[in-house]
Amino acid sequence: MTEVGLVFFPAFDWAISHDHPERQERLLYTRDQIQEEGLFDHPSIREYRPRLATDEEILRTHVVLPSLHHTVAESHRIAAGGTIVASDLVIDGLVKHAFALLRPPGHHANRIVHGSRGFCVLNNEAIMVDHLRHRLGADLKVAIVDTDAHHADGTQDIFYNDPGVLHISLHQDGRTLYPGTGFTSERGGPGAYGQTVNIPLPPGTGDEGMLMVMERVVLPILKEWKPDYVINAAGQDNHFSDPITNMSFSAQGYAKLTELLSPDLVVLEGGYSIESALPYINVGLLLALAGLDYSKVQEPVQRLDREKQTKSLTEQVVRVCDEVIDFWQHRSEVKLEEVFGAGSLFQRQRQIYYDTDNIYESQQEYIRLCSDCAGWRVIYTSSTKARDLVGVVLLPWKPCQACSVEAREQQGELLADQRFSQVICVDPAANLHQV
Amino acid sequence: MSEFYKIGIDVGGTNTDAALLCDSEVVALVKVPTNHNDLLSSTMQALHKVLDHYEGKDPLQLHLSTTLSTNAIVEGRGAPANVVAVPGPGVNLKSLEFPFPILELGGYMDHRGREVSPLDLHQIAGLRKALGEDEARALAIVGKFSQRNPSHEQRLKAELSKWHRGFISMGHRLSGRSNFPRRIVTTYLNASIAQHQLDFLGVWKDVDRAPLGEILILKADGGTMNLEDSAERPIESILSGPAASIMGVKALSLCQEKNYVIVDIGGTTTDLAAVVGGEALFERDGATISGYKTLVPAFLVRSIGLGGDSALTYEEGQGITIGPRRSGTPVCLGGEQLTPTDAAVALGLACLGSQEKARQGWQRWGATLGVDGSSLARRVLQAFTRQLRQAVDAFYEELENMPLYTIQELLHPPELRPTAVVGLGAPAPIFIPALGEDLDLPWEVLSFSAGANAIGAAAARATVGVTLRADTERGSVTIPEMGYQREIHRPLFFSIEKARQLAEEKTREYANFRGYDATGEVYIVEEESFQMVRGFRTVGQTHMVRTQLRPEVHRVRGRTK
Repeated sequence: MTEVGLVFFPAFDWAISHDHPERQERLLYTRDQIQEEGLFDHPSIREYRPRLATDEEILRTHVVLPSLHHTVAESHRIAAGGTIVASDLVIDGLVKHAFALLRPPGHHANRIVHGSRGFCVLNNEAIMVDHLRHRLGADLKVAIVDTDAHHADGTQDIFYNDPGVLHISLHQDGRTLYPGTGFTSERGGPGAYGQTVNIPLPPGTGDEGMLMVMERVVLPILKEWKPDYVINAAGQDNHFSDPITNMSFSAQGYAKLTELLSPDLVVLEGGYSIESALPYINVGLLLALAGLDYSKVQEPVQRLDREKQTKSLTEQVVRVCDEVIDFWQHRSEVKLEEVFGAGSLFQRQRQIYYDTDNIYESQQEYIRLCSDCAGWRVIYTSSTKARDLVGVVLLPWKPCQACSVEAREQQGELLADQRFSQVICVDPAANLHQV
Repeated sequence: MSEFYKIGIDVGGTNTDAALLCDSEVVALVKVPTNHNDLLSSTMQALHKVLDHYEGKDPLQLHLSTTLSTNAIVEGRGAPANVVAVPGPGVNLKSLEFPFPILELGGYMDHRGREVSPLDLHQIAGLRKALGEDEARALAIVGKFSQRNPSHEQRLKAELSKWHRGFISMGHRLSGRSNFPRRIVTTYLNASIAQHQLDFLGVWKDVDRAPLGEILILKADGGTMNLEDSAERPIESILSGPAASIMGVKALSLCQEKNYVIVDIGGTTTDLAAVVGGEALFERDGATISGYKTLVPAFLVRSIGLGGDSALTYEEGQGITIGPRRSGTPVCLGGEQLTPTDAAVALGLACLGSQEKARQGWQRWGATLGVDGSSLARRVLQAFTRQLRQAVDAFYEELENMPLYTIQELLHPPELRPTAVVGLGAPAPIFIPALGEDLDLPWEVLSFSAGANAIGAAAARATVGVTLRADTERGSVTIPEMGYQREIHRPLFFSIEKARQLAEEKTREYANFRGYDATGEVYIVEEESFQMVRGFRTVGQTHMVRTQLRPEVHRVRGRTK
């Protein structure tokens, strides 16, 4: 079995706009470096071609408005399809680890998609998780460790009430960076409370801090939760040279993190220091994933001394680690009715901004509080792009009998309600996406 | 107009073939057994045999496809060579376990050819001692990203030439492609076989060359190079045998299809190659030889252990399997073990040795299995076709999984599948028709199918290519193969068109410099162009143009004069 399957797709002919960070040039230097290092034909690494994700594969995870055809471009389908190819390689035992090194990224894409947020339209990791479950069954336990500098709010949104998924996001504190969320208090919905783990880190956190979080928080949590698969959403914008964030991580740090985590699957997320960081992080990551010597990987421009993590910053990281692990250890003692209220429904309202496409979305969400399953959800959504109100009924991957029946009743009620221009029902375990 | 004579010789594993061409016609085709202990003697034998048919007086060109370099590498007979590498940070060279020692030197060139840290000059002083006493031992100098900026390699060569007396090979001169481990291997092998090549050339100097004019060596990419070049870049002469066959197809085939599969059936192995859009496909990075991955431009050829003399095995439930092992001499020629060739002979599909012996052989084996001898022979031929077809399918599957990096290519992948089969090699007339039928494709067996390789060698012409890379932000343009590096004076105006134009100009200059006819068409083999944006502002462009001066192969008519 090959150590690493590499699904590399730099989309050399696609950009959000010509000077956008998500442009043709983004993975050019990474390609050059991997090629020059000879890693495309290293015996431990094998390169694979991505494919387009099918409608079915996308709609298992997303509700796309006004339509799939309208909102999703070929580039998004290829990125999502590439992650599916990567997961198949691992499931089929062709490789031990697979790395979907491709663009555009996905972790800001929510369950409901009206357009592009944070350069993302389709959530590549989420489509990957649902593909794994589609092939291996709803009982599968998958952990996502998102190490992008930005909070993985999209992935959090999708799995927020999903007991089959543990979502851990390490990111620069939301008070200082897009999307402004990802605080420790965001812990998941009533059906999966505690399985959304946010680790906001102070700007300037470097190798020491990141690896401390891995050792003190991430690895112990994974050890206890025992996932069947671990996915690393490997954003590379936590690098000290990244132009749009303020973290201080290095290529050596990233390789070490990869070695510690040893994820089954890795998916590239952000990372816009395309010349000074990405080529070296990706070489380090590939080597670490393949179990090869990465000790000599080094960026041409070194971190300045003032960019190294200060002592007081380390203390802040220690406090975050303590808070997160302390809650994790006591999560079963939390009384859910104190968080979500008593009764049969939990309700929340949200405004979601799509920065890339400049769209505002309003959501009204209801979650059935069920003791036998994660409960059905109903979401009313409308946006400045498509003002019509759309009703979405979502079933969990493992619905109880009662929730299955009730969800159908909800669907019927919404269909009868004149306010809704469209009603969509998603039952992922039954592979059903009904419009 | 005077007639133009040429000789092509292809040294194969079993036979050495020689062809004499006059303009576009085959005058003579001869075959002698290859003498593995003395390749030169069998080569000379073939040469003299074919020269018997030459009646002209003008000197004639000789195109040689030898297995000399290939064998030297495969049999590990290359001379030891020292390797001095400037790896900079990245993959630890020691972890790659090269089967030869490498001396590492400090210095760091980045992916755009910017010097991050200079060569460690203090270490250079110590190199003489580290390299040992032998001042004449061949030397390979290789830097990471030297194809983007060769100055470290050039400086090292200048320093080491002060005392070193032997052959020195620099990585950037051999290829403009990216791949440092392959560059190391290529440069090392080039240095290692340099002396072999010199010895070989020495022999040809002493030979009575009376009717011979220029001698050219066939390369793995199907082109030729002159002797001076072959002394500098002997590594390019590896794997010229499969290239000769492909050139034979290009010279002889009447196939009008844009895509076809070339099936070269030999005694031990069958080679598959793919023609797409009228051109034979090349390896993405370069040739692989004896496990060494190189940057030597080469046709993409996949070899399978299936041939006319393959061994047969019968297993209950499995039926008959052919190869991958080679059997001895076929029964029809007095051997012990039946081969696919014997099946063809017994059934009257081929004339070789004794048909009676072959028939008896099948009857004997058939009797032990309880089947009729001739039906058993037919089953062997069917099994051969089946295995060949599976290999062709697997080959195209591999091609169809080659990585693609643009959305356009992924949405509209190039059509690779063949619409015809072109076969060559002695057993081709037996097996190609059945393969064509099985694949439901029209087929062609080359005329002179048993000597098409020698004809291909004779019909081949010189190829020269360069890799131009321009970085308008850095204001530099580089052509590593020529050791060319210049400043761009007006970077804003250095467009991709300008890059193409310069690349073409330089390709011709390079061809002239090396002594080749530079009047053919310069093709652009590969091209890339990117805007470089920093902080929402376009700061420059990067262009890559890979060219090839590729004159058409001499077409040869399928009949003797």
